[in-house]
Amino acid sequence: MATTLMPSAVTETQPGPPHTKDRYRRGAARWVVLGLVAVVCLAMLVPFGFMVLNAFKSPGDYSTNGPLSWPSGFYTEGLETYWREADYPVKLWNSTLIAGSVAVLAVLVSLLNAFALGIGRVRGRVWIVGLFLLANMMPQEALVYPLYHFAKEVGLYNTRLSVIIIFTVIQSAFGTYLLASVLSTFPRALLEAAAVDGAGKWRILWRIVFPNLRPTLAVLLIFFFIWTWNEFLIPLVMLIDNSTQTIPVALASLQGDRLMDAPTTNAGSLISLLPAIVFFLIFQRTLTRGITAGAVK
Amino acid sequence: MFRKRKLAAAVALGLSAATLTACGDDSSSAEEATTLRLWHYESANSAMGVAWDRAIEIFEEEHPDVTVTFERKAFEQIQQNAAMIINSEEGPDVMEYNKGNATAGLLSSQGLLTDLTAEAEERGWADQLSDSLETTARYDERGVMGSGNWYGVPNYGEYVMVYYNQELFEKHGVEVPTTLDEMTAAMDTFVDKGVAPLGMSGAEYPAGQLFYQLALAEADRSFIDSYQLYDGEVDFQADPLASAAETFDEWVKKGYISRDSAGLKAEDMGVQFMSGKVPMIVSGSWWYGRFKDEIPFEWDSFLFPGNTFHAGSSGNLWVVPETSQAKDLAYDFIDITMRPEIQELIGNNGGVPIDADPSKIEDPKDSRLIENFNAVTEQDGLAFYPDWPVPGYYDVLVSALQGLINQSRSPEEVLDSLEGPYQEGVEEIDAR
Repeated sequence: MATTLMPSAVTETQPGPPHTKDRYRRGAARWVVLGLVAVVCLAMLVPFGFMVLNAFKSPGDYSTNGPLSWPSGFYTEGLETYWREADYPVKLWNSTLIAGSVAVLAVLVSLLNAFALGIGRVRGRVWIVGLFLLANMMPQEALVYPLYHFAKEVGLYNTRLSVIIIFTVIQSAFGTYLLASVLSTFPRALLEAAAVDGAGKWRILWRIVFPNLRPTLAVLLIFFFIWTWNEFLIPLVMLIDNSTQTIPVALASLQGDRLMDAPTTNAGSLISLLPAIVFFLIFQRTLTRGITAGAVK
Repeated sequence: MFRKRKLAAAVALGLSAATLTACGDDSSSAEEATTLRLWHYESANSAMGVAWDRAIEIFEEEHPDVTVTFERKAFEQIQQNAAMIINSEEGPDVMEYNKGNATAGLLSSQGLLTDLTAEAEERGWADQLSDSLETTARYDERGVMGSGNWYGVPNYGEYVMVYYNQELFEKHGVEVPTTLDEMTAAMDTFVDKGVAPLGMSGAEYPAGQLFYQLALAEADRSFIDSYQLYDGEVDFQADPLASAAETFDEWVKKGYISRDSAGLKAEDMGVQFMSGKVPMIVSGSWWYGRFKDEIPFEWDSFLFPGNTFHAGSSGNLWVVPETSQAKDLAYDFIDITMRPEIQELIGNNGGVPIDADPSKIEDPKDSRLIENFNAVTEQDGLAFYPDWPVPGYYDVLVSALQGLINQSRSPEEVLDSLEGPYQEGVEEIDAR
């Protein structure tokens, strides 16, 4: 595709002043682009830098010298306070359990839904997909009260299971939408060949469709994990015991009515962010592979 | 690999189901309650946090068969979900909750809170609280504070005062003002010396509280009752509100309040004061403990000069949810927190106890904080906060006063924009 586009791009530049520049010798331009990328990267890292800076500052230091100054000493009590008072290991386990279960279950549900909609061509699939998209666009604030009510009625209020179920549904709505459109372009010939060889639907799903979709599913898995990890409102409403709460909810407990403890909040944010960063670094290669896999096909 | 993950997820689901069933075995009858579930959201090293920890110890000594299950909650969580939580089986037996019509008042009108009137009379809490403190403990059937049954018990107080930097005062030869005129004179001195006199935050509550303090300078109790308790008409184009807007505007024009402060948060204002950039701020006693811990220079506080009435109220309330399974234990716990020992502990840690003898407080600065508060409550001088009367009024105040601070609106326009939402809100409450 790219090769067919290039000549037309060249002809477009021709009406301009001649001999101004050669497309293939843009030595200076490359450095400019590199410089811009570096600047953007730095700009992205600035807030993170301030968080790290203030995480190791004592409250007195922060109050007298402001948030921009260099810490006068290496102060780790903020980290310790947050670790101890928020009971961080418990929160970490809760967050991992919820985000992990949701990621796996939502991908599974999305795959099954999308198989029916994209490959199975269920009647009225456009409407069904539209409905899923609608569910995904609903603001969570509108869902909170009904969800609370149902959870209370079935005895799931204040359990991690309730949050897992809710987010499996919410995330798989997006997953279904995405995968259904991916699968609707799945090569028919491949499916027919498998059917001729005597493969049933179940076998086609796991032997033909699943291996081909693997990179896309991996990306979805990572997204679902990180999205669920960062969720605040629904966990805040559904999980009221300190022993069931997630990390973002624990972080909110540092913010008082009229007072905030900036250094401790920074320290808390820092160690709350780390697991998500570690997760991202581990799966980062899967992520890029998944994106390019889609493009090549 | 995929199968393994599925298995792990299934195990995980099983685990959470197990914790669910474990939650359901609370004792049901009031007589044999052996646990007291207690929630509050004060940080562990704050005055209330320290004092209430001690109260828990005393409670456990006096009730050897009862265990206290304490959970420290996020303010946000209680603020957002209190109604949902105490409407379920999962709520606590006694908890800290925000005072005011929109919070404790609303829950009481929905029948979610236990009526504490009998206990308050019998155990003497009613006698310990002065009238203006009692206002926030009682709510009528519409959920409006000031009359009706007791639904909460305040344990501490709060009020708005002037914090000042003694070193900057001495350096520029300024005396502590005792009238509003002396205050303006002091601010003129600072302006002449090139020092911005008053720290301010336009993006949060401080602007509204200063505006209210200026209104209270010319107000009487009937204005406060009209404004806060809807006992009469409030005329926004007349004094005291009109004069407050004028004075506020003048203070900006004369440079007492920096125009750049329109976008600052309360935290920024506090940091400005703590870093010695501004000599004075008008704000509440909630800063006191933090200032005491973190400010390296000499500082102190005085009451807003010349005012009889001051923005302030009781602190948050102890409430007993209607679903509580250990109400008697909850009353016992509340009673312990009202004892002199706990009250003095609040005072000695930089809080404002509602019923403590200032002479029992060791630090002279702490003791002055409490004397000032007692002076205010003795003349029934607590006037609550400007954003209390109607829901959503906080944002109205912030945006209106930002217009004054950055001089984009005249005092008359500001008063207009304050009047509309107030009248609408009051009509809605009357229609309840």
